[in-house]
Amino acid sequence: MIASGPAAPATSVSVRGLTKSFGHVTAVRGIDLEVRAGEIFGFLGPNGSGKTTTIRMLTGALRPTSGSVEVLGTDVVRHPDRIRCRIGYMSQRFSLFEDLTVDENLRFYGGVYGLDAATFAERREYILRMAGLTDRVGELARNLSVGWRQRLALGTASIHRPELLFLDEPTSGVDPVARRRFWDLLTDLSEGGVTLFVTTHYMEEAINCTRLAFMNRGRVIADGSPREIRDSLAEPGGPAPSLEEAFVALTTRTGRR
Amino acid sequence: MNSTGRLGAVVRKEFLHIARDPRTLVLVLAIPIVQLVLFGFAVSFDVSSVRTLVIDQDGTPASRDYLAAYEGSGFFTVVGTGDELSDVDDAFHAGTADAAVIVPAGFARTLARGQKAAVSILVDGSDTNSARVAEAMATALNSLADQRIAVSWADANGIDTQAGQLTAQSRTWYNPDRISSLFLIPGLMVVIVMIVTVQQTAVTLVRERDLGTAEQLRISPLRQTELMVGKLIPWTVLGLADATLIAVLGMIGFGLPLRGDPWTLGAGAALFVCCALGLGLLISALAPSAETANILGIMVAFLPGFLLSGFAFPLEIVPPALQWLSCLFPARYMVTISRGVFLKGAGFETLWPQLVQLGAYAVVVLALATLLYARRQR
Repeated sequence: MIASGPAAPATSVSVRGLTKSFGHVTAVRGIDLEVRAGEIFGFLGPNGSGKTTTIRMLTGALRPTSGSVEVLGTDVVRHPDRIRCRIGYMSQRFSLFEDLTVDENLRFYGGVYGLDAATFAERREYILRMAGLTDRVGELARNLSVGWRQRLALGTASIHRPELLFLDEPTSGVDPVARRRFWDLLTDLSEGGVTLFVTTHYMEEAINCTRLAFMNRGRVIADGSPREIRDSLAEPGGPAPSLEEAFVALTTRTGRR
Repeated sequence: MNSTGRLGAVVRKEFLHIARDPRTLVLVLAIPIVQLVLFGFAVSFDVSSVRTLVIDQDGTPASRDYLAAYEGSGFFTVVGTGDELSDVDDAFHAGTADAAVIVPAGFARTLARGQKAAVSILVDGSDTNSARVAEAMATALNSLADQRIAVSWADANGIDTQAGQLTAQSRTWYNPDRISSLFLIPGLMVVIVMIVTVQQTAVTLVRERDLGTAEQLRISPLRQTELMVGKLIPWTVLGLADATLIAVLGMIGFGLPLRGDPWTLGAGAALFVCCALGLGLLISALAPSAETANILGIMVAFLPGFLLSGFAFPLEIVPPALQWLSCLFPARYMVTISRGVFLKGAGFETLWPQLVQLGAYAVVVLALATLLYARRQR
């Protein structure tokens, strides 16, 4: 058989020397990142380590002080609007209009992304089923439980079938059962070919990622698959630490705020 | 790109927000009616009876004849007689009289010589509104007395007796019965539109920021201007609906005439709404929180609306500094247009300067708001 090894997966995100300063405070200090298409990329770090600032620069919402950002082959710093229809973003605040119903929220985001009637109907159906909201289309978003709102937010963020989805602490404040269910949805999305860029605090979630980057005080201090990161911190001859232990070891080594 | 589709999505969403919030609906629909009733009936600037003190230092048939005209006027009510100037002081201090007429000795003799005789009319200026009206009525009365009389005016406290040889004939045009509601309603329309639109738009963008949806929309294909215009359209519609509501209620309920060109009024109202929305956006761009935006919105809408628009108090009687300040708010231009069209029968040919001012104001304030909003997002 002629070896035609799998083509190297395309790069979804490529960041070089990314820096962001707000006045005297430097939130992100020259980081490099590489996310390949199809990955579930976990972006970890304590509060205030610069994760959200980085995501905002990757999505084109914030201009970097210096460095380059390439997302889906587009220079985001120069052309932030070229990737808008190809990426999705879900924030920890869920960004739903609470005084609008499930259906009205979907309809609004469908309109914002310019979906035609047929596509919208199909996406709406899919999202309602995926989020388990089929019986609650007329419910105001404010009256939904956190788990439902979270799944609806995921639906609105991916209504336009983005190739790359950024999720900024999507599971904070959600009970373990709903979190579990949410990650099942993320896995489905990933299997459907969507690249995921997720920040989280929860180590049991980080395990689900194909690759991780640890961020602390504006710098990326470790990068690799969960296995690689654990192995790199193992004592010679000793067992690999858990991801939790690795995380604590890494952040204390570089100093906490 | 499908810009109208995105705009439509925002407009639809904004209308839904309004429909879902009963407080907003009440504010938008009830305020105009309540205010109209309040200003139409309760708050009256009409002056119907001026309590008058007469001092006849001449004591001749001519002077008695002259003073009888005051008693017979139905406008002045003679509440007493006095002998000297100090009696006027006492009466004003005690609050028993609002005006005093003094016929000096020699009045009849001077008239008999065919010369101009002077009488003093003193008006208590602590109520500026009735003072102004009493002054005007006295002038009219003097001419009606069919005598060539030089009237010497004195101001409120009666110290300044600077004499002017007026034989002014005062007649009120456009609102001959001096019904203050007719004077107020065209201005009220402006003030209400200002209150409804400025405050609501002030809050709308801030709320989006607080919810986190602003961030969400920023990475969507929705453009900044589409979001802003989409948010303004519903309030333009509601603002104009309110203006129409007040105009129609005023015409039906209070007999407000619409003498001038409705198109000029409509154009003015549309421009004015844009100005007010621009002010609201400006607040939205500057305010750090929804509460601040709300308070700023109320302040900007109410104070200049009521005090610096000429709605209740003529701008000529406010201090020059405030007159300058009033130029910074769009209400004064629109009050001029509104009154001009309703009461004076004016049209484009007389009101175009105000229309131009409003147009320029709208452009500047909307551009400034967009600029500041964009800058804040950096």
